[in-house]
Amino acid sequence: MWEVNVLEKTIYIRMRHRAHVRPEEKILLKDVAQIIAPEAALSNLRSLMIHQVTEGDQNIIVIDVMEVIKKIINEFEDVEVQSIGPAQTIVEVIFEKKKVSIAFFILIWFLLFFGSAMTIMNFHDDVSMRSVQEKIYTIVTDKKATKPLLFQIPYSIGLGLGMILFFNHVFKKRLNEEPSPLEVEIFNYQLDLDNYVVIHENKESMKPVNDD
Amino acid sequence: MTIKILLVLFIGLASGLSVGAGFVAFLTVLGVIPRLTQLSKTMGLIQYYEWAVVCGVLVGVWASLRDPLLHISAYILIPLGLTGGVFVGMLAAGLTEVVNVFPILAKRIRVDGQIIILVMAIVLGKIFGSIFQWLYFVHQ
Repeated sequence: MWEVNVLEKTIYIRMRHRAHVRPEEKILLKDVAQIIAPEAALSNLRSLMIHQVTEGDQNIIVIDVMEVIKKIINEFEDVEVQSIGPAQTIVEVIFEKKKVSIAFFILIWFLLFFGSAMTIMNFHDDVSMRSVQEKIYTIVTDKKATKPLLFQIPYSIGLGLGMILFFNHVFKKRLNEEPSPLEVEIFNYQLDLDNYVVIHENKESMKPVNDD
Repeated sequence: MTIKILLVLFIGLASGLSVGAGFVAFLTVLGVIPRLTQLSKTMGLIQYYEWAVVCGVLVGVWASLRDPLLHISAYILIPLGLTGGVFVGMLAAGLTEVVNVFPILAKRIRVDGQIIILVMAIVLGKIFGSIFQWLYFVHQ
């Protein structure tokens, strides 16, 4: 009898990794966590308010699972809350989505274009690419050449091909389904940022020596 | 005399060792070989790829130190140039990846969707810069 009772009053929550809300919105439990609970309590639980977004919150709010459990226990008596998975949710307040202007985008495009063109020229000059290429030409053909274009043009095209190959854009669908290094890199960068935010935006995660 | 020869041998071996180790370390950090095995799904053949790099380096050393002459068709240069270019391109791509250029750029200017266009800017810039240099710049 007793066991059944406990089972019926157990609430399982699993904090989501990330949630988006609008400014001035109320954050409800269903926004920040997946919930398994008895049917009777479920709808009340789902709409339990966890946090009211205010202007002071800026754009990142970290909701700790401890805070959530405290709210649930206050609201529902005699329940057992089991938390599974991540210990907090990062809530991002989405303000008016600013669109990137076309002019700005083109400016950046050309910045990258000429920047990388200049970088590769500096690199070639730095490693004496020209004299090496002329030497390769001489080794292969036994002739002197000031313009070994037969080597240089394929080299230049191969340069671009190699970068595309590395980032796996052209062959993405054909070769395999694995994410490209670029996607992994962006994911890792986001994970690092999230870890930073979790520690630094969450007042409960650090305890100073003096309580002043 | 023998001492001198032994000393030169030792210094040569030592410098070769550090340059070779540096080359391999550089390749490893940029992850070119893992990337190629991942694309071609040939993880098992990675040892042969290592030997390909070692043999390539030794041929390069021989070619640059001994000035051999092969007397063969100039058209052999086309695949040589192409493969050499792909390799340098992969090095350059690996380098931009290691230094986190794209994730930071995407965050800063909020263009998560069009990041491929930005990659293409860099790729086309490299091709343009390289062709421009060989056709025009070096002869000015």
